Amino acid sequence: MIDAITAGLFALLTPQALLFLLIGVVYGLVIGILPGLGGVVAMALLLPFTYGFDPVATLALLLGAHIATIWGDSVTSILFSVPGSAKGLALCFDGYPMTKQGQAKRALSASATGALMGGIIGAIFLALCIPLIRPVILALGPSEYLMMALWGLTVIATFSDGSLMKGLTASVLGVLTAFIGMDVVTATPRFTFGSEFLMDGISFPVAMIGLFAVSEMMKMSIRGTPIIDRSLVREDSTVWQGIRDAFSHWWLVIRSSLLGLWIGVLPGVGASVAGLAAYAQAAQTSKTPERFGKGAVEGVIAPDATMGANEGGGLMPTLAFGIPGGESMAILLVAFIGLGIVPGPEMLTKNLDIVFSMVWIIVLANIVVTVIGLGITPWLARLPSLQANLMVPIVLSVCFVGAYATRGRIEDVLVAAVFGVVGYVMDKYRYSRANFVIGMVLAVMIERNLHISLNLYGKDFLLDRPIALAMLLFVLFTAVLPFWRARRKKRGVRGGAA
Amino acid sequence: MSVAMLALFGGVLWLCQDFGPRARMIPQPLAVFGIVLTLIQMVWHNLGHEEPPTMEMISVDANAIPAGGEGRPREERTQEQLGRWGEAGAFAIVALLVTMVFTAGIFPAVFVFTAGYLILSRYCSLLQGLAWSALMTLAIYLLFVLGLEMQPYHGLPGAWFQ
Repeated sequence: MIDAITAGLFALLTPQALLFLLIGVVYGLVIGILPGLGGVVAMALLLPFTYGFDPVATLALLLGAHIATIWGDSVTSILFSVPGSAKGLALCFDGYPMTKQGQAKRALSASATGALMGGIIGAIFLALCIPLIRPVILALGPSEYLMMALWGLTVIATFSDGSLMKGLTASVLGVLTAFIGMDVVTATPRFTFGSEFLMDGISFPVAMIGLFAVSEMMKMSIRGTPIIDRSLVREDSTVWQGIRDAFSHWWLVIRSSLLGLWIGVLPGVGASVAGLAAYAQAAQTSKTPERFGKGAVEGVIAPDATMGANEGGGLMPTLAFGIPGGESMAILLVAFIGLGIVPGPEMLTKNLDIVFSMVWIIVLANIVVTVIGLGITPWLARLPSLQANLMVPIVLSVCFVGAYATRGRIEDVLVAAVFGVVGYVMDKYRYSRANFVIGMVLAVMIERNLHISLNLYGKDFLLDRPIALAMLLFVLFTAVLPFWRARRKKRGVRGGAA
Repeated sequence: MSVAMLALFGGVLWLCQDFGPRARMIPQPLAVFGIVLTLIQMVWHNLGHEEPPTMEMISVDANAIPAGGEGRPREERTQEQLGRWGEAGAFAIVALLVTMVFTAGIFPAVFVFTAGYLILSRYCSLLQGLAWSALMTLAIYLLFVLGLEMQPYHGLPGAWFQ
């Protein structure tokens, strides 16, 4: 194993591999910052350029680009409350308030350092857990995935912004929106009104562009003032503050990284769920949860650490079984085939050096992203003070071009606009846009796994799957916990007053 | 807003009748759940309560601390002062850009929209506005068309040429 570790490192330390890594990282940062385009697009566009090169250099290019998109996504979430893709959503909740308080440098550097630490922890655990993870993955079936998705729904309470009813309504709307299009289980077109375009469903990145980016620009055009008026709020934070924050919250980073690793291991769950789950666990376990949503640095560190570690986790099923952990891992699988690498048990015996090269690529790519990120943070932190009359036309234009570029369909521009209006109205009447997105993310996973569970195990599938049953009890516990804590707090207040 | 929600969920419920039992297994009960939630919300508000049943939750609100750090009311006041015209203007801006994209094609629309916005908002002079928007359109074109190999949409002129 030691031989494989050193061979993997030396294979990466060639000029070509290092150059490819750097190109991938810079390219990934640019793609990550663009609205609607995330790691999947970044890797898919690089795929044609990967043939004919050394496998490690090619993997450095692909993984470097993919890892860089994570922080790229975070940048726009923190600075403008505009997530570059679904992954960056959780960063809006505390990153943006920090920017508004003149803490943009601190938020950006904490985010970069959190992602670095998460990435390294994820890579280390990937290396350690490869032989152990196989039985765990095989023990989980569709019923357990269904329970995981239901657990994700309990996060809704966290994002309900003061009104549980409105929060739940928003998530119901999100779930129903995700059902627009052809139902893959029954081949029934749902809510398509005969439209061929709607058969493919609503593109998730396009909906995100509308809900967050377009609606924010609408708000800015009404307000007519920049995100930060420097005459009122001075940028008084430093890059070092953010780095220190990430290190001082080391336990949160470890917990979030392990959560990200675990979610990454589960095929089909994805980094967007990971970021939201990390935020929720950070808020639920905090001694001062009331600070969350108002600029708590932990709310920035936890999602980034989780998403950093998620990549290592996602590699596990991809390498060990040839089952992609997510869309980007599916693209990596295509690259493997092009490079003549066969995923499966052989990866852990014959090609172990390539596996460790990938572990090193994750570590090195994270370091390069963080170094570049910390270097450009002072310049990035100036962007929110740009005037509204400059920001609105530029961001709106990029958003619509990004919406079109997502699938190359002009109708998506209209969809982005419609969701922009929906996002604006939801924000005005305080229906949580985050809950809408959570509903959209989890809907398909819930429906698919419910149907498969019913087909495989019948109506009483929970009785056949004790792990799923235990998970359901856990889901119920976490759903009831906030109500119970509120009741206890209320009693405490009454008792104190008496 | 609640009436619109009720109509929406009612519509979903009605549309679900056309689906098979498997296809409506989740959407139908969800629509019913949505109607129940909206009705509770309406009743609760009409009884004079501000918020529905309490729970310990974290108020996640990106607008909680606007520029100036004076809390949400300042922003709300500003929006109220701007009135409905500001809102209508924002809707019009989005509608205008979408219409331009569909008719003139994506890059001419971006150029005309950014130039128009910069000049009419008096952010810069006519020449500066044209120069800035040309530069930005070129940057977007290079990034998306040359860098990301996106096939640009040409709008109505494209259809005529075909």
